[in-house]
Amino acid sequence: MTTIVTPRPELLDTSATKDNYLTYTRGFLSWALTLDHKRIGVMYMSAVLASFFVGGVFALLLRTELLTPGRTIVSADTYNQFFTLHGAIMVFLVIIPSIPAALGNFILPIMLGAKDVAFPKLNLFSFYLWIGGALFTLYSLAAGGFDTGWTFYTPYSTTTTTGGVIPVLTGVFILGFSSIFTGLNFIVTVHKLRPPGMTWFRMPLFLWALYATAIIQVLATPVLAITVCLLIVERTMNIGIFNPSMGGDPVLYQHFFWFYSHPAVYIMIVPAMGIISEIISVHAHRQIFGYRFIAFSSIAIAMFSFIVWGHHMFVSGQSGLMNTIFSLISFSVAIPSAVKTFNWTMTLYKGTISLTAPMMYGLSFIFLFTIGGLTGIHLATLNTDVHLHDTYFVVAHFHYVMMGSALIGMIGGLHHWWPKMTGRMYNEKAAIIACIIIFVGFNVTFFTQFMLGSQGMPRRYYDYQPEFQIYHVISTIGAYIMASGFFLCAACFVQSLLGGKKAPANPWGGRSLEWQCTSPPPHDNFSAPPTVGNCYDFSMLRWDEKEQGYVVDKELEAVAIAAEARGHS
Amino acid sequence: MSSASVDHEVRVGHEGHADGHGHGSAEHEKYPFLAHHFETPAQQFDSAKLGMWLFLATEVLFFGALFVAYAVLRSRFPEVFSYGSHYLDTVMGGINTCVLILSSLTMALGVYFAQRGKRIALLICLWLTMAGAAGFLVIKYFEYSHKIHENLVWGPGFYIPPHDAMGEAESVALAHAPAPAPAVVPAPLNSAPSGVPMIGAHPAVDASVVKPASMGPLGLGAGAVNHASAVTHDIIPDQLPSAHLEDAKMPPNTHVFFAIYYAMTGLHGFHVIVGMVVIGMLIYRATRGDFGPNYFTPVDLVGLYWHVVDLVWIFLFPLFYLIH
Amino acid sequence: MLSTLTSIFIATAGVQTAPPVATPADFWLPIGASVQAHNVDLMFNIINYICYFFFVVVLAMMVWFVIKYRAKPGTRIRTDGMTHHTVLELSWSVIPLLICIAIFFFGFTGYVDLITPPKNSFDVNVTAFKWGWQFKYPNGAQSDNLVVPSNRPVRLVMRSNDVLHCCFIPAFRVKKDIVPGRYSTLWFQCDIPTGIEEKNGYHLFCTEYCGTGHSNMNRRVMVLPQAEFDEWLVKQAQWLDEIPDDELYFKAGPKIYARCQQCHSLDGTVGLGPSWQGVWTRLTSPGGARFSDGKSYADIIGPGKEYATPEDYIRDSIYNPGKHLVATYGNVMPTFKGQLTDRGVDSVIGMMKHLDEFDAKGAWTKTLPPAAAKTETKSEQK
Repeated sequence: MTTIVTPRPELLDTSATKDNYLTYTRGFLSWALTLDHKRIGVMYMSAVLASFFVGGVFALLLRTELLTPGRTIVSADTYNQFFTLHGAIMVFLVIIPSIPAALGNFILPIMLGAKDVAFPKLNLFSFYLWIGGALFTLYSLAAGGFDTGWTFYTPYSTTTTTGGVIPVLTGVFILGFSSIFTGLNFIVTVHKLRPPGMTWFRMPLFLWALYATAIIQVLATPVLAITVCLLIVERTMNIGIFNPSMGGDPVLYQHFFWFYSHPAVYIMIVPAMGIISEIISVHAHRQIFGYRFIAFSSIAIAMFSFIVWGHHMFVSGQSGLMNTIFSLISFSVAIPSAVKTFNWTMTLYKGTISLTAPMMYGLSFIFLFTIGGLTGIHLATLNTDVHLHDTYFVVAHFHYVMMGSALIGMIGGLHHWWPKMTGRMYNEKAAIIACIIIFVGFNVTFFTQFMLGSQGMPRRYYDYQPEFQIYHVISTIGAYIMASGFFLCAACFVQSLLGGKKAPANPWGGRSLEWQCTSPPPHDNFSAPPTVGNCYDFSMLRWDEKEQGYVVDKELEAVAIAAEARGHS
Repeated sequence: MSSASVDHEVRVGHEGHADGHGHGSAEHEKYPFLAHHFETPAQQFDSAKLGMWLFLATEVLFFGALFVAYAVLRSRFPEVFSYGSHYLDTVMGGINTCVLILSSLTMALGVYFAQRGKRIALLICLWLTMAGAAGFLVIKYFEYSHKIHENLVWGPGFYIPPHDAMGEAESVALAHAPAPAPAVVPAPLNSAPSGVPMIGAHPAVDASVVKPASMGPLGLGAGAVNHASAVTHDIIPDQLPSAHLEDAKMPPNTHVFFAIYYAMTGLHGFHVIVGMVVIGMLIYRATRGDFGPNYFTPVDLVGLYWHVVDLVWIFLFPLFYLIH
Repeated sequence: MLSTLTSIFIATAGVQTAPPVATPADFWLPIGASVQAHNVDLMFNIINYICYFFFVVVLAMMVWFVIKYRAKPGTRIRTDGMTHHTVLELSWSVIPLLICIAIFFFGFTGYVDLITPPKNSFDVNVTAFKWGWQFKYPNGAQSDNLVVPSNRPVRLVMRSNDVLHCCFIPAFRVKKDIVPGRYSTLWFQCDIPTGIEEKNGYHLFCTEYCGTGHSNMNRRVMVLPQAEFDEWLVKQAQWLDEIPDDELYFKAGPKIYARCQQCHSLDGTVGLGPSWQGVWTRLTSPGGARFSDGKSYADIIGPGKEYATPEDYIRDSIYNPGKHLVATYGNVMPTFKGQLTDRGVDSVIGMMKHLDEFDAKGAWTKTLPPAAAKTETKSEQK
């Protein structure tokens, strides 16, 4: 595995700076009707970040309301709508599409060495499906909002008088298909568009992660689609499949819902793990430790994710036998997660670590994911879960995993590939400070909630016992700290867009293919399929005083190519 | 974007790339339908085929959830399912099964002819498939309308005789009914009153299941059924087309059978309609002469889709019509 | 090996080693007052220590490596790091796996204890509804807060009137969803009496989201020694009967109103249901309030009409709340049929007629005539 990229002259086409994907064509329609995966990725990213802002505002409103028991700023009904919206927006509009659809769309084909995804039109179509789903979600607000919780548990969701339930379910249905088509596109792209030399085990781990994610997207999402369909039919035509008073079964709904929504957790976290594998390896300038274990652990997580859904229902009335089986299988997910964490940590060993902004996010991820993952053990264990189920302990756990890990991974990835996407650098110091503020704010917010939950505070509570107030106040202060960190982070990006330093093609010394083309990449990525080597071989990097970073040394690279040629002959 | 590339785009259909870029490799010049990001027609075809298989996997899972719901409900109410299937017309269902299998055959032949560039034979096959799909829907329409006429419908309507069978007073009462009103069910202290009260001899809930304790806000469902109980009392039995309501052997919760029947066959029917649309598009393009030995991907893909739609019916037919 | 582990654990877990005193609240867990709490807490703490260990290991390695191998400007790239180490990787796959399996077995056996009620349990019927609880005892007594005997297993047989609810008693470490259409059961045994004072009781929460009043479905669990409990139970069953008719409205009324106040205010505040303020005037004056179908009170109340008297109307509104809906209010009130006896309804009607004697919270503001004072007893519970 000492192969490295054989640079072809046309790949390093410097004239492409004049003709990158941003300037290739101009005008609104050239974006709205684009089939270029990079532009679609950028559009997704903007839309996802806008949704993240909206979801974040709801989060802050929730935390503010919870400063005092009883009414602080809004009524109970409004609060119920807020947490439902916060959940639905963050899950369906932000985290699920954030890494696969936004970053993945931009990076996957370039990293793979392809010119585009396999079905560019389908790709654009799934973006517009996302827009459609988002519009329906917005419309549901106009139609009276919805207060069902993002889980839409029956019979509450079929009987609540809020008028926005059907629109939002339609939105979720549409968003589901957006996600399915993205996954389908990625699977076919990885299978069929790998250029010569890009064997499965030369693929960067981010691609393995996206591939595993795509499998989940394709195989789990249809069940959500039919479930929300049934819910819509139940609400409009009253067919009674989930209605206990008509012989239906509300627990069946929960099975259907979690059959999708548990794998969906891995749609969120697995690609973030892929990003972290890239970030840790590139910024430590060191071969990733245990490549195959990490690659297979992604696939293992994807497989296990389909058979553990029942652990969301330990107290829902499913049989004790089912609970036992689901508890046992749930522990199996711990193993691949543990493997990844240890391997990332070992990758730091004897590395050459640059503490850049992406690396800071990478290290935050390891910290937060370790907490999020380990507290999963409390919840997979049957008797402790009975106490912790539906308390703030669960809220804290899944925020550590979904936000502290998946979203931090996404933001880290955005910092990692930002120079590639925009062609601009950002203020590194400010970005690092933003990362630290977010990290501190996050822990203050959510670690408190672990205590809150294990002390017995149920989730989705508008009003609470006075003894819980101190925890809530600390948590709310943490949320404000975190929000300020995100604003600083956003300011960094805006400053970068307006007046950032021009980015070199390879600012971090990365070895995967996306660092071979210019920043921003040309319209066609690669004019001919590139040949590929070991994307985790950093031996040809040297310190460059002018760039204040690691760059590829041509002589060392030539030595490596010669060594590779000998190895092959 | 040049007009030439727009033209290119129209002709290549699904796999085209509007931003067609001028890297005129030999393969791309030879095969105008080859999208810019593929190297060879074989790669493009394989990609499309894999994509279609994945899509069909999602379709199978889409229906799969409903099959699971069927299994769960069937295990809960076995007597309902064996009773309900008597109301389905096995002859019509059987004819429909044959029609669909035949249309699958013509579709497969269509792919065969497309690969060999036989345009007329392909067109005949596509039209025959289209006719099969339409025939299926027509028969399904008769089945549905017959059942709806007999009031074999989903939900609480199952227990409400159709409007025209009611006396004038009742219809007026129905039209001016206030918001769902819980019925008065004599309930002993300490036992839960039922959300769905008895309707004649046919309680709508399984007596073996604990009766839901609700008389309160159960939404439309309970309300409508309750209301039904208020109006069905005075109806003269022999005016009813709802023969099932008079059948003393009808098990409780029979509406569940029809709910899942309409859900599954309805979703399948929707897929047949989608199939007709895409076959129509194929007919349009085949008439134009798009397909030949080099390029028949769309025909192949629609063929796969159609077989899956067929296959789903092959499962639906015995599950609903044949198993007593 | 696994079977050995299990048998050892079952042998140890089989002995109920519950301490007679409550486990005090600590950094993580609240006071543990049931016999099951001990095992759950033990498990929770064992997992916690395992988590601390792994967290510290990962974090220490990470920090140490970052400090040691941090690149200063000009540092040459190190190429001596290993790319993989199969033994190491297998060991950190297999060791966590074994730990996980062990945790699973301990958790599983603990869970079996948690869900298997002993045979001699004392049954309480629980009805959850939007948004409240009702507890019914074998002798017909009812209460709003749960009162149970100590030193005896208690089994809650629960059902829901409307949507999903969930019964959670943190101090007992028990929780169970209540699914409409079926019974759910839950058992616990608490050996630490709290007395009848509500403020000393353990919390009981609804933890399955059920709408507007979800967070107000909190009640208390009071634990009494058996003898005291028996006495309470008898009193509780008869409390309405013991009150003379003319004192019903101010003695029983406020207690019953506690269950109505979530939706019906006394001072005109808009709630989920119409305020009781001035209700009797509205009922007896011509016109009155309108229903959503356009009718007014006068159209349905009166001799020969649907309700002969306003009392009949109120009684039917409590038993069949959806029949006539006052305009702009939704059909959200649960029925109280089977929960409120005729005397209970009489108390409510009496209270409506004498609203001027009550404050906004439903407390009776007049003083008891000396003759009646002696009938009031301390042990009455709403």
